[in-house]
Amino acid sequence: MMVKNSTGRRNMTVQKRKTFVLCVMSIIALLLLEVRVGYLMIMCSEYYTERATELHERERDIKAARGRIIDSTGTILADNKTVCTISVIHSQVREPEKVIEILSRELDLSEEYVRKRVEKYSSRERIKSNVDKTIGDRIRNYDLAGVKVDEDYKRYYPYGELASKVLGFTGGDNQGIIGLEVTYEKYLTGKKGQILTLTDAKGIELDGMGERRKEPVAGKDLHISLDVNIQKYATQLAKQAYETKQAAGVSIIVMNVNNGEILAMTDVPEFNLNEPFTLIDEFQIEKVQQNDTPEEGQTAVKQVSDQDLLNMMWRNGCINDTYEPGSTFKIITAAAGLESGAVRLEDNFSCPGFIIVDDRKIRCHKIAGHGAEDFTHAVMNSCNPVFITVGLRLGAERYYNYFTRFGLKQKTGIDLPGEAGTIMHQPDKIGEVELATISFGQSFQITPIRLMTTVSGLINGGKLVTPHFGVKAVNEDGTVVDEFVYPVSDEIVSENTTEKLKYVLEQVVENGGGKNGYVEGFRVGGKTATSQTLPRGSGRYIASFLGFAPADNPKIMALAIIDTPQGTYYGGQIAAPVVRQLFENILPYLEEIGYDE
Amino acid sequence: MARQLVKFRSSKHNMDYILLTVVLFLVGFGLLMIYSASSYEAGIDYNDSGYYLKKQAQSTIIGFAGLFVMIKFPYKALQRFDVIAIVVSAVLIMLVKTPIGITRNGASRWINVGFTTFQPAEVAKIGVIVYLASIIQRLESLGKNVVRTPKGLAIILVPPTIIAGMIYVLTKNLSSAAIIMGIAVAMLFVAVPDYKWFVGVGISGIAAVAALVMYVSNTDMSGSSFRLERVKAWLDPESFSTDKAFQTLQALYAIGSGGIWGKGLGQSMQKRNFLPEAQNDMIFSILCEELGLFGAMTIILLFIVLIWSCMVIANKTMDRFGSLLVVGVMAHYAIQVILNIAVVTNTIPNTGITLPFISYGGTSSLFLLMEIGIVLNVSKHCR
Repeated sequence: MMVKNSTGRRNMTVQKRKTFVLCVMSIIALLLLEVRVGYLMIMCSEYYTERATELHERERDIKAARGRIIDSTGTILADNKTVCTISVIHSQVREPEKVIEILSRELDLSEEYVRKRVEKYSSRERIKSNVDKTIGDRIRNYDLAGVKVDEDYKRYYPYGELASKVLGFTGGDNQGIIGLEVTYEKYLTGKKGQILTLTDAKGIELDGMGERRKEPVAGKDLHISLDVNIQKYATQLAKQAYETKQAAGVSIIVMNVNNGEILAMTDVPEFNLNEPFTLIDEFQIEKVQQNDTPEEGQTAVKQVSDQDLLNMMWRNGCINDTYEPGSTFKIITAAAGLESGAVRLEDNFSCPGFIIVDDRKIRCHKIAGHGAEDFTHAVMNSCNPVFITVGLRLGAERYYNYFTRFGLKQKTGIDLPGEAGTIMHQPDKIGEVELATISFGQSFQITPIRLMTTVSGLINGGKLVTPHFGVKAVNEDGTVVDEFVYPVSDEIVSENTTEKLKYVLEQVVENGGGKNGYVEGFRVGGKTATSQTLPRGSGRYIASFLGFAPADNPKIMALAIIDTPQGTYYGGQIAAPVVRQLFENILPYLEEIGYDE
Repeated sequence: MARQLVKFRSSKHNMDYILLTVVLFLVGFGLLMIYSASSYEAGIDYNDSGYYLKKQAQSTIIGFAGLFVMIKFPYKALQRFDVIAIVVSAVLIMLVKTPIGITRNGASRWINVGFTTFQPAEVAKIGVIVYLASIIQRLESLGKNVVRTPKGLAIILVPPTIIAGMIYVLTKNLSSAAIIMGIAVAMLFVAVPDYKWFVGVGISGIAAVAALVMYVSNTDMSGSSFRLERVKAWLDPESFSTDKAFQTLQALYAIGSGGIWGKGLGQSMQKRNFLPEAQNDMIFSILCEELGLFGAMTIILLFIVLIWSCMVIANKTMDRFGSLLVVGVMAHYAIQVILNIAVVTNTIPNTGITLPFISYGGTSSLFLLMEIGIVLNVSKHCR
């Protein structure tokens, strides 16, 4: 009954076959889609998983502990202090009022400030960083939902002001800003770790989905040649001179002449490394003075920004600034003269109190003149006409060659940032007058560290060393990562000249102008300097003394520079005693710790 | 009497329990996946992680009621509803433009009947199946291959085309229109002995698509139409990652990050706001992410079993009308599953098609279950 006729029956058979075909076609399509799904989930899985993970994870940094800076005695000069960062996670806060109340009270913040942050709809809002650990622990103990206390590190300098311009400090991201902290950044800085948290598309952290941690790697400890005892003593002496002489600044550098290790470097006034962005009193006063100009219209120009003042405060005069060395530079003229044979120690001179060069009359500091004297006594007397004569004997070209050979045109390569270069005449512009002034250390500028390095080279047997602080970088577990090696030049002067120089410079201290540098029981060599600063006739002087010991076999050199002292300004009278006092204390100390070795 | 008794008993034995089991499993699994995919967003948006699950569970209960009604309801009575089915479908579709129509996201696809809302397009699908089964059977019973005459073809194809056109124009629902045309073509394919027309149409269709793809991929798309941009986004989802291909790309991330074993039920990351409305069209990608390749293959295999079962029932049925009804249902399922998975895997450009039983959607699951009821009913009368 159902199938009425033959056509119908035939069509029914056809229909069954075609239904089967339709079904098989659909199944084939589905199987092909299975292959497609399989391809996506096996072959492309890695790619899409990576992209998806990138999308799902929010990262939070974990600060790495920065390497410490440790002096030669093992004293830690730069350390890390654990501090806390307090933040809130909006979606997890249960009792906002309680959170606001407690956080504003504990963190000493205005309620309004805290409220704004707690009520802000964000994934994570930082309330305050660099919070003391004790306060952080206290907040953690309240156990407030949605309040996170993360520990991280803050740089801490146990000695505050000590060697501030050498060590430098770090910024908010724990990166070095000045000093050794900058130079050795790549050793000191650690590798940040990360906390990877899964979040939904709105950045809300998912509870109970766990965290992935990439542990931070601590930075390497930096061991430096600085000796905290010598540094302390040098700083004390510099401060004393700074105050008694009401100077603009006092710098003292103590260096090992044979390998360039710096044992102390101070440039008073120093600043507190734990508060590097707070202007010290000197600069506060300066700010008031500079900005207190009565004329209208000029105020804007003269306005000194805090940043400029900070930069001035952070400047390390020992390496960042140049000065006219004055008479200490006569050591170089003497070395060039002796080395070239232009002068011998026994050569006789006569000083009438002045010398005529070209058409210029250049005075000796002793107006009456030193009269007849040999070269040794000329050095002891620091007699300008004699040194001018020696300079003229050498001639501009030869003198310039020695200047170059002694490394004076180059930077020393000290491991502190911002070393200033030498300011010197062009070789073809050096006439007789210029040569005369160069011979006694004027009309050009070098940095104190440059002078010390060259003089070290002249008295240590002729090798120019690289002044430095960094000795080695050491891992947390004590394994040495890197021992720093510094370049040493070929001989710049002969042994013979070195011997003569050591002899005359000891004479300067024993019997000459540097006798205030004499230290009982030690053989000290040295040279004084009193240079008038530019512009001439301003009555401003720089008094300095460069001393080394032992005179016959130099190991240690100290340079004291007093910038713009009030009252007596002669280097022999005010700078030499500073070095003497320093040596009186540190020479026995160095012997005791066996520094000779 | 004796014959009738035997028939009654055999009808009970013949009902396809495999199909019923597969459907029960898919429905149950679908509820699980809807909960998994929607709970995170529902928890945030409605403060009730079971929001979508509860609504879908209600629809499912109504759906099963419909399924049992259709098992009991003598399906042959449907034969009388041929023209009515089309008219009702057309009227319902027009209702979306009346005040009881609901417009969401710029498309009027729902009507509000007081206690609930539903999509007329879903009704139209079953309406078209009933109409075609009925009309083809009647034309066939006239003999002389009336179906193959132009007049017969017109009777068969014009009403579904009008319905599809209305769905496309009035509700801007291209995918439902395409499904209805697909069902019509599939049923016609089965009803006539010819292959060459279909092969010809198929080949020219593929050629047209290929030409369009070539054209689109080589032209600058500035200022081009919405659908062409979708094609462009399909070809290169990564460069449309923020707008046109956003959903597709998020679905691909979900599928790819699932890997072979998946992240485990409930562990999807993409459902956490990354893939918007994860319980809807793109739910298959969440399934892939959570249950991995094996989960995905299992679900596809279950659909293959479902389609195969339909085919077996269609071919065992002596009654042409019943057989054609089952073919229509089979075509409906096949088209919807294939298109959905193809969209989710970015095999074809994105268009909104739900995955039967797994995607969230009340009307859809009600009528899908009723269709299964019809198929089961037909299966009772198998040889």
